[in-house]
Amino acid sequence: MQTEEFTLVRDMLRSFATRHRVGSADELTPRTRAAARQALDELGLAGLRRSTPPAATVQECALLAEEHGRQPLTTSLLGTALLAPELSRLLGITAPASLPTIALARDLRFPGQHPSPLVAWDCDAADSALHVAPDGTVRQVALGPPTRTADLLRSVRAVPHDGEGEIVGRLGAEAGQRWQSYALVVVTAELVGAVDAFVELSTDYARDRRQYGKRIGSFQAVQHLLADARVLVEACASATRYAAWCLDHEPAGRALAAARVAKAEVNASAVEAVYTGMQVFGGIAQTWEHVAHLYLRRVLVGADLLATTADLLTTLAEPAPAESPPADTGAPTPTADEPETTR
Amino acid sequence: MTDLLLDFGDPADLERLRDDFRAWLADHPLPARGADEPVPVFLHRWHRMLHAGGWVGLDVPREYGGRGLTPLHQVAVSDELGARGAPGVPRIGYLAHALLEFGSEEQRRRLLPRMLAGDDVWCQGFSEPGAGSDLASMSTRADRGADGHYTVNGQKLWTSYAQYSGLCLLLARTGPSASAHTSLSAFVLPLDRPGVTVRPLRAANGDDEFCELFLDDVRLTEADLIGAEGAGWKLAMTTVSYERNALDTGHLSTYGLLVERLRRRAHERRGSLPDGLLSDIGRCVVDYGVLVAHSRRRTAERLAGRSAGPESSVDKLLMTRTEQRLYETALKVFPEELHGAGGEIFGDYLYSRAASVYGGTSQIQRNIIAKRLLRLPADGRG
Repeated sequence: MQTEEFTLVRDMLRSFATRHRVGSADELTPRTRAAARQALDELGLAGLRRSTPPAATVQECALLAEEHGRQPLTTSLLGTALLAPELSRLLGITAPASLPTIALARDLRFPGQHPSPLVAWDCDAADSALHVAPDGTVRQVALGPPTRTADLLRSVRAVPHDGEGEIVGRLGAEAGQRWQSYALVVVTAELVGAVDAFVELSTDYARDRRQYGKRIGSFQAVQHLLADARVLVEACASATRYAAWCLDHEPAGRALAAARVAKAEVNASAVEAVYTGMQVFGGIAQTWEHVAHLYLRRVLVGADLLATTADLLTTLAEPAPAESPPADTGAPTPTADEPETTR
Repeated sequence: MTDLLLDFGDPADLERLRDDFRAWLADHPLPARGADEPVPVFLHRWHRMLHAGGWVGLDVPREYGGRGLTPLHQVAVSDELGARGAPGVPRIGYLAHALLEFGSEEQRRRLLPRMLAGDDVWCQGFSEPGAGSDLASMSTRADRGADGHYTVNGQKLWTSYAQYSGLCLLLARTGPSASAHTSLSAFVLPLDRPGVTVRPLRAANGDDEFCELFLDDVRLTEADLIGAEGAGWKLAMTTVSYERNALDTGHLSTYGLLVERLRRRAHERRGSLPDGLLSDIGRCVVDYGVLVAHSRRRTAERLAGRSAGPESSVDKLLMTRTEQRLYETALKVFPEELHGAGGEIFGDYLYSRAASVYGGTSQIQRNIIAKRLLRLPADGRG
């Protein structure tokens, strides 16, 4: 996209998010969900990754996911507009007749080798889900009843056991790596937006809240807590944006390594930074009405999403594959891919 | 937080520069250090070789002996050296920047080419026994006499390799100490002046890199003053912000080499690793990967026209986190470093403990972030 065009799309999403943000858990009603769903649908963002080459770069999609994560929202921008369309695009399906989201293992990780119950993740507005098996086979599966998750904003539905679903295509090894990296980056970017916004909220609060006759932000103990949280947020943001850029410009193996680094950083740091923000808010953040627990639930479940810290750290501890000489900026060299490993 | 699209890639000519430098390195292998040759003497020899090849001061304008390129080019050279385990380019970048930004035209022309060539070896005289992180409270004085000369009295600490240096970038108080930030001035101090005593200090890892500097009635002229009288604090702050970025300091590629060693060792000893150590190594890989991404983001922001500011405190804390966790893990992966004579890794481990102290402690960095990035209220102002 041109910079102006991207800014326009980002601003549209921002004003949508401000209008449809959930102010407290009590506002989570079918009516508010439906209104937000319709408003997001009117933005027409599902076309961003539908064509080849895509209308939006991965970095642009990551920034939009970040924007969506900044506010407590019930809409499934990720599942239905950013993730499933990219999967269809990688499979060469240009005009899907349905509105799928993606299917994950029951524990919300990437579906594994062994057949296990699946769920349709981030499925608000979705009519089906795309399931990528470890061998790259992609099936379209039906949606069952809603299932509970600690993340109150996220819509998740069971996938019925009967019937394997219709095979819609197969991802090759490189496309499989690109799919994994892209999913990691987009999911991670939404968490970055959430933790950045929440740390900002708690910093604003520290500037105003008075105790002992002083603003609490003037106490060094509070200042250092918030400074550390800010450093963690910046680390999360740098890693995620770089990983997104790598998907636009680097070979698939390097992009996957960068995406794993970003997810691992965010798994650990986003939760820690949200804890810090809640500590600064004090008692008010322990109430049902306050947004703090909505953010906490999001980053906590987010840390288990697609790949857990344990999955990532053991994979990343493996020695780096032999690198081909660094390529010129841009041109992907598929030969530099690292061998495919699960998770 | 910035929400701009950034280009994390290298400018096109950077790959050419890297290729040229690799070709030069192939023809000019790292010389061997003599049996009795002190490290700084050896490093100085390497400095002169690099300079002869045109690899020092790449980001310094041509008229002052540099090549007029960007900081990215100098960083690329450091990166290539680090990736080969070779000593980095001499750490004079921050001194050169101090002279470029604050020195007079005459000083820049007189001092910079000799600094880059290694004709003059410089050290930094900022910290004092009573003024470490609280640099502004220093007590070394430079009193101006009726003849226009300055008389300097005081003591400096942590001046790296002063015993091998000819010149010192000295910070001293030229006004009343009540105005801490406007009463400091910077000078070029030739270390052979009468009244200068240099005493090496042995560090915890056994190195004698650091020195004490005693100054007793040392005379300096007006020509030795860098910038205006009272500009010393600004000069010092500019200088230290160049010491806070892993790319500027060339540490990044050194970390990368060690991370790879840890991964290979873990792979060889698979099955016999203590519980949790594989995760610790994975965590080091993550720290390193994050630092690479973060440094590239800073570079991209700099190329997009944003100058270095209080964000450098975030950079310093991330660099410290990476370095300290990395060497803590390295000691667990290579236990013989701890339970034997103690090799290079143990020495570097000890040095890593200083990462949260030098260039402003981690606590000072948090203060800077709180006040200048988060704009939290100052203590006492309720």
